[in-house]
Amino acid sequence: MPKRLSVVPERCSGCRLCESACALQHFGVSNPKKSAVRVIALYPHPTIRMPVVCRQCSHPKCRENCPTDAIYIDNGIVKIDPEKCVSCRQCVISCPFGAIFVHDDVPTPFKCDLCGGHPACVQACPKGALQYVPEHELGEANRVASVLRYAHMKEVEYVEKGEPKKLRYAQIGREQSE
Amino acid sequence: MNKQLRGGYHFKILWVDLTSGESRVVPFGEEFALKYIGGRGFGAKILFDHLDRIKDPLDPTNVLIIAPGPLTGLYLPGAAKTHVVSLAPLTGIYGDSNMGGNFGPELRQAGYDALVITGRAKELSYLWIDDDDVAVVRAPRLAGKGALDAERGVKEELQSEDIRVAAIGPAGEKLVRFATINSDWSRNAGRCGMGAVLGSKNLKAIAVRGGKDLPVADVPGLRLLTERSLRDLSNHPMFEFWQQQGLMSVIDYLNTAGGLPTRNFQQNVFEHADQINGFKMEREFKIGDTACFGCPMSCGNICLVKNGDHKGTVTEGPEYESACTLGSNLGVSDFASILKGNQLCDDLGIDTISAGVLVGTMIEAVETELLTPSEVDGMKLEWGNAGQITKLIHKIAQREGVGDILADGSKAVLAKWPQLKPILVQTKGMEQSAYDARATISMALAYGTCDIGAHHTRAWTVGKELEAGSKWTNEDRVDIVIYHQTIRPLFDMLGVCRLPWIELGFDERRYAEYYSIVSGIPHTLDDLLERARVLYDLTRLISTSRGISRADDYPGPRMFELPISGGQYEGRVVDREQYEDLLDLYYEKRGWSKDGIPPAETAETFADSLS
Repeated sequence: MPKRLSVVPERCSGCRLCESACALQHFGVSNPKKSAVRVIALYPHPTIRMPVVCRQCSHPKCRENCPTDAIYIDNGIVKIDPEKCVSCRQCVISCPFGAIFVHDDVPTPFKCDLCGGHPACVQACPKGALQYVPEHELGEANRVASVLRYAHMKEVEYVEKGEPKKLRYAQIGREQSE
Repeated sequence: MNKQLRGGYHFKILWVDLTSGESRVVPFGEEFALKYIGGRGFGAKILFDHLDRIKDPLDPTNVLIIAPGPLTGLYLPGAAKTHVVSLAPLTGIYGDSNMGGNFGPELRQAGYDALVITGRAKELSYLWIDDDDVAVVRAPRLAGKGALDAERGVKEELQSEDIRVAAIGPAGEKLVRFATINSDWSRNAGRCGMGAVLGSKNLKAIAVRGGKDLPVADVPGLRLLTERSLRDLSNHPMFEFWQQQGLMSVIDYLNTAGGLPTRNFQQNVFEHADQINGFKMEREFKIGDTACFGCPMSCGNICLVKNGDHKGTVTEGPEYESACTLGSNLGVSDFASILKGNQLCDDLGIDTISAGVLVGTMIEAVETELLTPSEVDGMKLEWGNAGQITKLIHKIAQREGVGDILADGSKAVLAKWPQLKPILVQTKGMEQSAYDARATISMALAYGTCDIGAHHTRAWTVGKELEAGSKWTNEDRVDIVIYHQTIRPLFDMLGVCRLPWIELGFDERRYAEYYSIVSGIPHTLDDLLERARVLYDLTRLISTSRGISRADDYPGPRMFELPISGGQYEGRVVDREQYEDLLDLYYEKRGWSKDGIPPAETAETFADSLS
């Protein structure tokens, strides 16, 4: 079963441990600017912190726009062939997520390669904002949430002291806590 | 040449003279690095070297040093801190304040171990450090802008989200003596008035971007150790709760212990504590966590006011100090108003602790008729009246009416109204942090002997003395204060946060391991502590040269005179005789005279040069 690197922005605290871990893994240096995952933090309106990382698209724009066919897909992972790459940076500006990066010290653009199946960023993330999950689980949180939303709207009929009453699932437990 | 050090430093200090607009890179040597370590150490030494030339904290001759440490920006928990050192506008003596966020790591990535700012720009400007390129940019359009707006303004002008900005608000421009430097939206170098120093230099903001590798001697060692550290922290039983509430959990802890400053330190239990505590925040206001660079603990709480007068207010915070000084200490029980006050202080760029204590003093002064209503511009100052409190905070930041007096801090307030001496809780002109000292005399000593004034970060002994203090001798008390004043500044020298150690039982020896791995030279914790201990003599020398002596080493009179009201320590005050004994013993252990002055030859040990 193929796995995907998945981001849960709501959990991200913006600590950038993922960036440090990634750069150490790939370049052996403590330098978040050489990381293939970057946390963007916006404040105050709207307030969000969110890691940006390659989605390993099946039909990648970066590959489509690469003039030298340097970008290829290897076992589900989008890779850049440094032999073919001319460092024109077309891929960097083509990626809809901005998930391909450049740095002065690095001869070609670089991106996430999933660390051979054990992403360093996922291991470093203290918040569970980066997850490495089986592909079929993607969207599961939303699926469950939508079912719960529906269920919470439902009403249960019951009888109390001879009187028929209605209760919404969403109300259950609320009275005690308030 | 550098022979031993294989990491930790770029060996470069960026020196900017705003008067001429010129910048230069000043190298430093291995001996300097090893002796002063970084951060607070570099700052204090550079300030000491310039002391004779400084006419006044707000004069262009003052220097402001922003120094991260050798561990800042690295892959390790809490590697976010950067230290700001200058002659303090609030107290006129040695001053420092640190901030987390991402500014320090970025400055290090730009290739500098410290930034020194001197002189004064002709007009309002910001400093733009883009790796090796440094420019002073005119910015009259930023005049009067809030610190948060200024940060946004600079990022928009430079067209990048990939830069880090530290900025001052209108209070800094107006030279409010407890103005802050705000970076990364809401991380403040809050105390001592560092924002006013920038204001006096016509520097509205500092923007920095850097992409350099940080020098580390043993990279695999660093990775391994941090993997262990992250595991240790996340396995701590309080880890999750800490992420949820951060420092806000302290409200309940202290209120239960009978130590929550309430109504200008008149009471120690706040009857509405449940309205301003961490659970209230979590339930009704919190919308997310935020963390400084490299920290798994994410103690920052992002809060949103969803309804009522302050609807739409977003703030990073409050943390404990602000919730107390703007909350219980002012009798405010409306959490939304505390959030608004917190956001306002961030944006105006003023210190919530100093502001909260001064406003509390004003309220009490009016209530007890030490001041007439006309002396406070006819404001209806009363406990819990958040509207008037907010108005007074605005007046301070804009230096209007009575706000103009408060803006100069405790010293000026006492000079104008000596009758407030018994009720204004301060030491050396710095308003006291939100921890009471009457039940724990070691904390009184900590405030009295803290090198910047009545601040809690040098030594915080409240918890330990409440737990075990009844069995302590005076010597135990002095020893724990000195130990804290040694290890806590060490964090400020290394450029890391002390909270993993304080809150989640992180072993302090781990930092010696880190320094060894990063520098390539084996160090024990004792090696490092010795350098931190000696540095306390240096900061003391700076202050004694500006007139500080034993007479200044006391907590506010209230700690001796007004018995605690409420809670299990009801009736307690600091015993003056015992305090004198503690102070004698403290000086003796420091090797200072009875009057608190280090021996004359001490200065010579700090006469070395940078290179």
